[in-house]
Amino acid sequence: MNKPATVAVTGLTVRHRRTVALDALDLSLSRGVHGLLGPNGAGKTSLIRVLATVAAPASGRVELLGEDVASPRERTGIRRRLGYLPQEFGYYPAFTVREFVAYVAWLKEVPANRAPAAVERAVERVGLADRIDARMKTLSGGMVRRAGIAQAIVNEPELLLLDEPTAGLDPEQRVDFRALLRELGKEATVAVSTHLVEDVAAACTDVALIEAGRLAFRGTTAELAALGGESADPGDTTTNAIERGYTAALRAHRERSGSGAARAKEALR
Amino acid sequence: MKLPPLSLYLRSRGLPGALAALFGTAAAAAWAAQWLVSLPDFDHTARLPVVLLGPLLAAGAIGTSLHTPSDELDRTAVRPWWPRRLTHLLAPTALAVALLALAVPGHSEAFGAPAAVRNTLGLVGMTAAAATLVGARLSWLPPTFYLGVVYLAAPSDAGGGAVWWGWATRPGPEGEAWTVAALCLAAGTALYAWRGARHVTGEA
Repeated sequence: MNKPATVAVTGLTVRHRRTVALDALDLSLSRGVHGLLGPNGAGKTSLIRVLATVAAPASGRVELLGEDVASPRERTGIRRRLGYLPQEFGYYPAFTVREFVAYVAWLKEVPANRAPAAVERAVERVGLADRIDARMKTLSGGMVRRAGIAQAIVNEPELLLLDEPTAGLDPEQRVDFRALLRELGKEATVAVSTHLVEDVAAACTDVALIEAGRLAFRGTTAELAALGGESADPGDTTTNAIERGYTAALRAHRERSGSGAARAKEALR
Repeated sequence: MKLPPLSLYLRSRGLPGALAALFGTAAAAAWAAQWLVSLPDFDHTARLPVVLLGPLLAAGAIGTSLHTPSDELDRTAVRPWWPRRLTHLLAPTALAVALLALAVPGHSEAFGAPAAVRNTLGLVGMTAAAATLVGARLSWLPPTFYLGVVYLAAPSDAGGGAVWWGWATRPGPEGEAWTVAALCLAAGTALYAWRGARHVTGEA
């Protein structure tokens, strides 16, 4: 954890109309694969969108790759080195996979002489090489998601933000994708928002758990698993341990913050 | 393998179709103008529907092409969008102006080329503003509604301020009508260049 921070967020507050999505969040990330966990509506997508520079925070300071997102000139530099897979992303349905990824390479200003090779490499890395000239509208949900991952890595980003990347992938594709994640994490800072603790167990070096716009837990995957305590069941797996750790960390956070809303939520379970 | 990126941009916005629509509109306007004038009891002043509908269709074709299917990814573009937005709006507008000016030749004092040009500029501005406020797919709706109202309500003389609010139905050279059209264009273009077409949830 003593690698230099590539993402430094302090006092980040994001509002959607009158609700607070992120509440004075502090977070720093460095090279490696980081899992963003949390219940639905906890603010994971809001955080990723601010880090992707597509949404502006209400307040707080966001430094990415050593540059400040509040400055238009520095933001331009960040965007060149950034990859982003939105949870829902639109695409022109008549584009082929190659054209879709090339379009994003153009947005990211990948130099024109390098772009065709970069597009092919990105598509190959997500295992879509055999469908590279198929139109986007003919692809299945899992293939569209992989095309989405391809566009996110086409500029070989130093900061890669993936919002629910494994949704719609079948088990074999998920295994391949986690291997890709580990490989990408050697060179880049990768933040993955997910619901699936298996993804975290298999690919993430550490975890940030977000609940109601605040950081509930921050540590390595092993530390989160340890929070869940020992299981009486001898057939217990790492995944189960992380799930227990996740639940324990959430409960502990809710007790600490002690807000009425959090208690009410707990009582409903 | 060649992938000129600009052609990807143009295709994703449906601009080839929009340009075809502009040419088709101009051809239809030219034909309709000639036909109306050739009718027995009509002269060149009968061209009012042509200088309303032609520019409206052109503005609609340009307005709907402002729709982007990949809004969220477009926001991560390295370069700021406003220069591309300005070009995207103004280049087809210049073409539409030229085509529609040619479509209604002669008698420039009454529903001729000046009125066609003025209405194209004003309605494009209105459509661009509508794209920013209600989304590009429905951007033709507010100018259509406006034209429908003024076509029915505007008197044929310039009394009662009609030269201002009914600018699109004026025969041609009045400065007031041109002022309103120019303001519409400036405001709509600035608004669109600044904000871009509104993203409407549920749109593909």
